[in-house]
Amino acid sequence: MTELYAVSANNFMNKRTESLLDKMKTFLFQNERRISLERAILFTESHKQTEGEPQIIRRAKATAYILDHVKINIRPGELLVGNRTVRPRSGILSPEMDPYWIMKEIDTIHTRPQDAFDFTEADKRVYREQLLPYWSGRSMKDFINGKIPKNAQKAVDDLVIKLNQTDKGQGHIIIDFQAILNHGVGYYIDLLSRKSKATPSNYFFTATKVIFEAMARHFLRYRIEALREAKSTEITEARKVELLEMADMCKRLSSQKPQSFYEALQLLWMTSIVGQYESNASSLSLGRMDQYLYPFYKRSVEEGAPEFFIREVLGDFYIKTNDVVLLRSRESAKCFAGFPTGYTVALGGLEQYGQSSVNELSYLMLDLYHSIRLPQPNLSVRINELIPRRFLNKTCETIRLGTGIPQVFNDEVIIPGFLSKGVSLDDARDYAVVGCVETTIPGKTYGLHDIALFNFLRVMEISLYELRDRDDLTFDRLVAYLLKRIDGYVKDVTIGSDIVDLAHREFAPIPFLSALVEDCIDNGKDITEGGARYNFSGVQGIGEANLADSLFVIKKLVFEQHEMKFSELVDALEADFEGKYKNLQNHVIHDFDKYGNDNPEIDMIAAKIFRHYALELGKYRNIRGGEFNAGAYTVSAHIPLGEDVGATPDGRRAHDQLADGGLSPMVGRDRLGPTAVLKSVSKIDNVLCVNGSLLNLKFSQARCRAHREFINLPIFSWRLPN
Amino acid sequence: MTRGLVFNIQRYSIHDGTGIRTIVFLKGCPLKCPWCSNPESQGSVRTSVWMKNGAEESLGKWMSVDDVLHEVEKNEIFYRTSNGGVTLSGGEVLMQADFAAELLKEVKALGINTAIETTGALPLKQIRKVLHYTDQVLFDLKIMNPDKARQIIGEKIGMIKQNFEEALNSTARVIPRVPLIPGYTTPLENLRQIGNYVTGLGIEEIHILPFHQYGSSKYHYLKRSYHLKDTPLLKQEEINTIKEFFESAHIKTVVSGLG
Repeated sequence: MTELYAVSANNFMNKRTESLLDKMKTFLFQNERRISLERAILFTESHKQTEGEPQIIRRAKATAYILDHVKINIRPGELLVGNRTVRPRSGILSPEMDPYWIMKEIDTIHTRPQDAFDFTEADKRVYREQLLPYWSGRSMKDFINGKIPKNAQKAVDDLVIKLNQTDKGQGHIIIDFQAILNHGVGYYIDLLSRKSKATPSNYFFTATKVIFEAMARHFLRYRIEALREAKSTEITEARKVELLEMADMCKRLSSQKPQSFYEALQLLWMTSIVGQYESNASSLSLGRMDQYLYPFYKRSVEEGAPEFFIREVLGDFYIKTNDVVLLRSRESAKCFAGFPTGYTVALGGLEQYGQSSVNELSYLMLDLYHSIRLPQPNLSVRINELIPRRFLNKTCETIRLGTGIPQVFNDEVIIPGFLSKGVSLDDARDYAVVGCVETTIPGKTYGLHDIALFNFLRVMEISLYELRDRDDLTFDRLVAYLLKRIDGYVKDVTIGSDIVDLAHREFAPIPFLSALVEDCIDNGKDITEGGARYNFSGVQGIGEANLADSLFVIKKLVFEQHEMKFSELVDALEADFEGKYKNLQNHVIHDFDKYGNDNPEIDMIAAKIFRHYALELGKYRNIRGGEFNAGAYTVSAHIPLGEDVGATPDGRRAHDQLADGGLSPMVGRDRLGPTAVLKSVSKIDNVLCVNGSLLNLKFSQARCRAHREFINLPIFSWRLPN
Repeated sequence: MTRGLVFNIQRYSIHDGTGIRTIVFLKGCPLKCPWCSNPESQGSVRTSVWMKNGAEESLGKWMSVDDVLHEVEKNEIFYRTSNGGVTLSGGEVLMQADFAAELLKEVKALGINTAIETTGALPLKQIRKVLHYTDQVLFDLKIMNPDKARQIIGEKIGMIKQNFEEALNSTARVIPRVPLIPGYTTPLENLRQIGNYVTGLGIEEIHILPFHQYGSSKYHYLKRSYHLKDTPLLKQEEINTIKEFFESAHIKTVVSGLG
């Protein structure tokens, strides 16, 4: 270690640390993103060899096969090993999940507007001639298509619900990093060997053992790689020192638990990469890094690790989280644009005694972001009454950079939300952020946090057309009808989600991740079988703002001011406010107040419908016995979900976007500034948004620069809804 | 019940007093500052109209104290945690001193911090009505030369000073504010007079508000000519120089206003 510190010191003294990190950043982005078939080919090769074996064993062997055969390299200058692909930011196909969308889009992936990838002609041929024929008829998608009942399919066809994760691995999991950091790989190999010997009939134990053993070998492959590179004549003496240290570390970590901050980061990253090979999923998030890494940080600092070294490896880690991107279908890429890969980190919060858990590492992690500034890791800060003012300042300083990082979460809303769902107090206080803004209990939850999207506005549109010619319509009757319609679709979305849930159980068990989610080893069950302690499914309700605005307009225009008949209004919507309805569009936009302006009459419409939706959803249990939870966030889904809805009474034209965020007001409709927006949003009972919710607040950058108060004050004085 | 003529209520301001504040703009002002960014508020206390985007829009709404309270209480939770509150601005708040006093009294009774933003351009009896209910006085000091003050903005400097000193003798915290208007308030001699005046009274903090053009479109709506149309904004160095000038006189100087 001393030699390594000396190298790092030398870099630091000569001001090379920053430029090294810059070089690594450049390396990431210098080439066009490309599809890599490697995982798909290896996975398929393995599957051909394991015909007839139990699915969980086949999956485990396939993952092990990848770990043993995938090409590896060490990127220039990096101190942490583990790259999913030799070429950075490659798109990984999972034909075992859904081989069809790829075939449909094979010639457009390169040119599509959102998140394009290069796809070489040679690879396309391999795909068409080898992968597609093998997986056709035996993929997870085939299973789902065969199982989806008529009603649920109708809800999909009605464009009310979108089922996610039907074509890729099931992510949105935070594994128990603390456990693997405290125990090391060898511990799991021993434990699982004993368990599988004791209960040979339990395939879960055998499967997990197979992968942990392969993980150990994978570490050793990097040892050889580091030694090989260290012999190169083209590297500096300093780099040689680093590579030799990396080789030793890989050897140690293939069996032992980490002893330093550096080793802990290395094991953390490798664990996350193995998880990626296993499931190729979105959002294997990092959880509370400042908490579980803190003992290692403290120990390393006490043993003399200099701060610049800590910053260098952590910087390396930050950069590597941008090396993994997720290939999505065209439609999915629209909903989740710009690679929200989901290396999400929650900083701060509370510890088990209910005190603030902000520590030196929390500060360091925010501070380091100022010099790296890449989209991942997606930092989040948990805010509560006990947060140190200094840390709140640091959070605001970081937000003022204007990159949208960190997001802030309100403990005082989220913790009671989890308590209301039967989560223990200790676990609720330990919550973290998974995916984009979903909340979860790290290391203990299989939450299907991103299982489906529910388009409120589309349900309203369907209802309006169905009620068009009713003579006895009143506003209350309309709302009652709408709520009934919502109930029906809620039932459908739970059925659809359960089919996807079941499909992952049948086709894509994830034993490695499961072994690192609490209670799975005790239960001897994969998370897809319900092995985890907490088993949720999260469905995002989207379009709330437009819905409230629209209902308010209907209430005033039709039922109170009697300006036009209900059927006439529907005619206007059908005409998309064209022709004689042009003025009507102006009228409904400008002459009726909207959600986001602290007007209780409108805000409570949103609150009422959301509450109804959340409670209705909460009546259902998924196939693992867990509750369905409501969420309210869109990532970028307000664009494609808007495409599914015609003109609406709030003045929105057909196919225009919906309000962004999830809780945010419709673009341009909030007139009274951020405090009024916060007041509106907080009227929606956010305790019910257990799956997570999102409000986007945008401030002018010039003003933020000129006046720190611009952003500090609202955040200081209002713990945002979450 | 007394009613006041209000021409705007702005719910999120961080420039006019401490914390997050709601600003209640009262109509009417005796002055005629050519740089005024709320020209629609000048003149006597009465409603008026302007043409905005081709449509006639009325300016000013008669509101009771309760009406205004209802609006400002909506942000109460933000005052509580940011040390913010309510600021009465204008126009010139003292043009409606009776209404202002009643309103401030009620706001203060709720435990909400109160502030007024004033030019002090009315006889002393007006400011006396409100000072008792005011926690902060943001007091404009513009042109100190008596002749120029009278000619350019219609201000009697003696009356301004009387008002300023009256405020200083109250329990309110008084912060002099100098709008930095190129060619009008920025000549060194004027700044020196302001500096001498406030240091003589033991003032330790002053706010300077760099010139901005945010009010320019309002002159268009009012069909009035705007003499500062081509006046450039101050450069950062010029602002810094003025800041340093005051600070060399041991006055803490805060650059404030929209920036």
